Amino acid sequence: MTTIRRFCCNDLLRFASVNLDHLTETFNMSFYMTYLARWPDYFHVAEGPGNRIMGYIMGKVEGQGESWHGHVTAVTVAPEYRRQQLAKKLMNLLEDISDKIDKAYFVDLFVRASNTPAIKMYEKLGYVIYRRVLRYYSGEEDGLDMRKALSRDVEKKSIIPLKRPVTPDELEDGISESFRYAKHVDKKMFLVMNTFNVFSVVVTFIFHCTLYLYNSWIMLLYNVILLYKLQYSEFSLSKYF
Amino acid sequence: MRSPNSKKAKTKRLESIRSGIQYLIAILRLQPGIKQKMASKLGLAGGIPERRVRPIWDAIDSRQFKNALKLTTTLLSKHPHSPYALALKALILERMGKPDEALSVCLNAKELLYKNESLLMDDLTLSTLQIVFQRLDHLELATSCYEHACGKFPNNLELMMGLFNCYVREYSFVKQQQTAIKMYKLVGEERFLLWAVCSIQLQVLCGNGGEKLLLLAEGLLKKHVASHGLHEPEALIVYFSILEQQAKYGDALDILGGKLGSLLMIEVDKLRIQGKLLARAGDYAAAANVYQKILELCGDDWEAFLHYLGCLFEDESSWASETINTPINPPKYVECKLTHLTDEVFNSCVENASAFVQKLQAEASNDSLRNPCLAHLEIERRKCLFRKNNDDNLVEALLQYYSRFGHLACFTSDVEAFLQVLPPEKKMEFLDKLMKNSNSLSVVPTRALGQSITLLKTQELIGNMFNLSVAELEGSAVQMAELYCKSLPLSKDLDPQESMHGEELLSIVCNVLVQLFWRTRDLGYFIEAIMVLEFGLTIRRYTFQYKILLLHLYSYFGALPLAYERYKSLDVKNILMETVSHHILPQMLASPLWADLSNLLKDYLKFMDDHFRESADLTFLAYRHRNYSKVIEFVQFKERLQHSNQYLVARVEAPILQLKQGADNIEEEESILESLKCGADFIELSNEIGSKSLTFNEDFQSRPWWTPTTEKNYLLGPFEGISYRPKENLTKEREENVRGFIERKSLLPRMIYLSIQSASVLYKDNSEINDSLADPKISTELKVLLERYAKMLGFSLNDAIDVVVGVSRGLKSYEVFGSDVIDWLNFAVFFNAWSLNSHDSGRQGGERTPGSWHVVNSLLENYILGKLRSMGPLIQSPQGDLPILVKLVTEPLAWHGLVIQACVRTCLPSGKKKKKSGSTDQSISLLSNAVRDAIQSLCSVLEEVAKWSQDQIKSPEDNKIDLLVSSLKRNGGAGKVFNILETLASSPNETELGDRISQALRSWSPVDVGRKIVTGQCRVLSEFWRICESKIKSLKTLKQQIALV
Repeated sequence: MTTIRRFCCNDLLRFASVNLDHLTETFNMSFYMTYLARWPDYFHVAEGPGNRIMGYIMGKVEGQGESWHGHVTAVTVAPEYRRQQLAKKLMNLLEDISDKIDKAYFVDLFVRASNTPAIKMYEKLGYVIYRRVLRYYSGEEDGLDMRKALSRDVEKKSIIPLKRPVTPDELEDGISESFRYAKHVDKKMFLVMNTFNVFSVVVTFIFHCTLYLYNSWIMLLYNVILLYKLQYSEFSLSKYF
Repeated sequence: MRSPNSKKAKTKRLESIRSGIQYLIAILRLQPGIKQKMASKLGLAGGIPERRVRPIWDAIDSRQFKNALKLTTTLLSKHPHSPYALALKALILERMGKPDEALSVCLNAKELLYKNESLLMDDLTLSTLQIVFQRLDHLELATSCYEHACGKFPNNLELMMGLFNCYVREYSFVKQQQTAIKMYKLVGEERFLLWAVCSIQLQVLCGNGGEKLLLLAEGLLKKHVASHGLHEPEALIVYFSILEQQAKYGDALDILGGKLGSLLMIEVDKLRIQGKLLARAGDYAAAANVYQKILELCGDDWEAFLHYLGCLFEDESSWASETINTPINPPKYVECKLTHLTDEVFNSCVENASAFVQKLQAEASNDSLRNPCLAHLEIERRKCLFRKNNDDNLVEALLQYYSRFGHLACFTSDVEAFLQVLPPEKKMEFLDKLMKNSNSLSVVPTRALGQSITLLKTQELIGNMFNLSVAELEGSAVQMAELYCKSLPLSKDLDPQESMHGEELLSIVCNVLVQLFWRTRDLGYFIEAIMVLEFGLTIRRYTFQYKILLLHLYSYFGALPLAYERYKSLDVKNILMETVSHHILPQMLASPLWADLSNLLKDYLKFMDDHFRESADLTFLAYRHRNYSKVIEFVQFKERLQHSNQYLVARVEAPILQLKQGADNIEEEESILESLKCGADFIELSNEIGSKSLTFNEDFQSRPWWTPTTEKNYLLGPFEGISYRPKENLTKEREENVRGFIERKSLLPRMIYLSIQSASVLYKDNSEINDSLADPKISTELKVLLERYAKMLGFSLNDAIDVVVGVSRGLKSYEVFGSDVIDWLNFAVFFNAWSLNSHDSGRQGGERTPGSWHVVNSLLENYILGKLRSMGPLIQSPQGDLPILVKLVTEPLAWHGLVIQACVRTCLPSGKKKKKSGSTDQSISLLSNAVRDAIQSLCSVLEEVAKWSQDQIKSPEDNKIDLLVSSLKRNGGAGKVFNILETLASSPNETELGDRISQALRSWSPVDVGRKIVTGQCRVLSEFWRICESKIKSLKTLKQQIALV
């Protein structure tokens, strides 16, 4: 007994019972509204009788070429409506839109590596762990990038798991967007992230050097490229002025 | 279920993109293209080779503003007349916190742009300037730059888009429309036409545009469709809404059925539009068919079912359109009109509906689908409403629903609307039957637990808890606590972050204990309620429902710092501040915790103001991404927030808090008043609030039953059974109250200012001219405000004066003030200030006798001391009159203190002044005597209050803790539930409960909870004591000064 419809601004005033739950993040307004302004089809709310908000899903579609994919940014269900498969319904909806309307290759999402119940649930919904993203969460905890292939990816190439973990800076443009753009807007964060970058580059380098010893010279070349990329991939804000 | 990109990470990363430049950058970043293209055009940026500008960009990027400034200065030496270089400099200066310099550089750049005809006028320069102007709150300057540029290069699309953006920021819908039309004419693109159409819609919905404008929009669209067709689904949606607003449903249906209809790719979406249009056109039969189709496609769509029924019953009320102040949480029942139906028609409708629901039920492959069952309930409910004799069937349907879905946590919220139509005796019958069913609970333990909880929640919902005797209530609380303990092992293997089975039980126990306290006034129950919730949080610290209940219990118990702590642990931020802060804000406003209150108000106002600032940029983003329906939505949403009653209250309360904080030092107070433009803006707010529509966005659903709205707290009054606890936010009464409150409160800053002036200019020129009693304007204005204030209290000025004089002389009791005592005392204070400096031939005014001084002194003294005497120690008497005492000291008494300070300052001999005449001397001595008395009176009152606070602070902590804990260990009365929990905690069965729960249980310490309460109360008292002491100190200094006169 659920009405699933597009999320609208007024729902922001009604989702307190969902968002007071400690695992659900309340983002700033520009975040929600940017999603509404850009990907309204990827932001849906489930409403129960008495117009109660049961849960919602927000996401987007992005990427280039074969990386064109739907992304689940947040999915959450109010405590009293849990264990009724509502999350599944919401996820299916987003997958459907990615698949049928936007013809994406896959849908992905990020989850804390420690969040076992959520990982299990996503696995049940057909998602596989595609790769581990080192220290994705505030530079503290690893994230898992989970994916589910859609019909356009006939050979299911998009979900073949990567053997090595990646750093947030290695993520494709769209995926790492929020990660990187926050880097420049808050001085404190900037420092944190910068320290983190140096650190993660070192970690990755050591990691790959070890691999090199066991594998081939190609890995070393890869590392050089990686370091070069990291040095110059720094996103520049001022070019927009 | 949880958010995949979970909490902390997102918070840190995204929290900071809130405002201004960062946001703009974010926007630009989200729509890459334009600026880069601009920048790299011919390798020039604003006419300067890009390689020269890049280092500056990089420096800004890495926040090395000093370096960036240096580089810009070098650049400017080479390109002294480049507006872009200047714009960059301005941007850097603004970022460095030098707004004045930034503005002047910006204005230079603007001047250069205007002056030099041959100069390049590119969007990069203009948009950089625009960012700075916007940050400096000079949107109009940015607009004029773009207007100038567009005038110079009339066919430049990029500049026109920039100009359109400026108008979006200014909410100039007409100019938006004109610019969009120009762009449309220039390139003929669909999107610009839609920009214009949206601008027209906004004029009608949010501006002053008449509905006739819609015809224009329709015409524009029609013409475009004829020549070019439409390509965006969103464009079609806008087209429909334009037609719908004009009630041209038939036209819309034709379009939907035609070629354009294929733009809507999701079949159900298309059907929903079709159903709505048909129903609004009055073709209910066809609409019902469409809704049937929707339900066949998505059997769980509740809204579709309601619309389906609405169509069958030919009831238009289910399509009522929303207005700006439509409540955010609409009433739980579904509006329906049935009176127009004959018996026959009604019966056949019901038959059709029932048959359809049965079909749905049979087809439902998924057993967990609630819709068909609820649909059945809804049909039975309508039968009840129509015939009034269908209660038994509804009860039967409810029982069936319970047998299928009774284990679900949402059962009670699902059935709430259906229960509402039953008379009380039928509700009880339903409950009885449920109770009987409870013997046959499910064999699955979690399911059985869910069913038991549902039973208890239903009992609560029906209001049956209020019909039970004290012993029965106690018994049921004990049972619930036992059930909770018994169900703990079920959660043994759950992740600590996951909700535990049976968590709700403790909330219900708390509610029962609070009721027991309300009935018996045995404080033990109240403390037991606190203990129960704290116990729950010891086992799982994330349960927000416990935190909210505790927050209110602590507030009531005078331990506000604890309440605030609990509030903070809810992590209320961003939009939740608008919907959730009602839990704490009202209590904080009446508390001495000024630093916390100030943060609360500051954060909230910052959030709202930031949103108002960035909202237009987001609207523009929606324009750019062709999501036109969101354009309208964003603008309407901003208006809703701007009209928020809570926002307006906070806007008034924030400066009043500042004034309270500065009241012991008149110079400080005057500078605060100066920064508030002497209260002039607030007078304006007070003037216009009467005609302003207010919105009520607070979410009251999570409030406890004993305080269902911010104004109501049942515990303050004697026990009465409550069967229905409305938590509806918007009521006429509430709106009136808030209006009155804002109207009154926003007069305060100005009245304080005028009172100080009135006391300061006293005798200014008296030495020379006898009748020049200072500035007559002040006196006149203050009198007008006093008249308004009196009117708001329900009296004419003279009658209000009579009342205060009567009360001060003991001829009338304080009861005549009712609940407005603070306002009455404020009135008396301002009246005294006005009397000091008035020509008015009225009775009290102008006499310049100590009469009005005496009125204020005795009013304050008698009332405060009276309160003090009636108040017991905080630890034994929750709530009590502490908040009102705090208000008395920090408002009327503080304002009176300011008048005294102003008088002392005026009386003090000043070297510059000429020798005073004899009559002035006499007046001054009269005044100084009155002031001396007032100081004496206030001092003695404050000393009493300070002593009262100090006595409680000093009383030994352990005694107080003992008092709390022992109230739970008496024979009889409170403590039974507490004992059950204590027993569990003292010897947890580790194998049954698992490590985590056992460990948590071992850490449980009721004494710690008691200590926290005592410390919390002491902090409130200490803060209050500090405020009193500061006032005493200030008054003592004044006393010494006045002694010299």
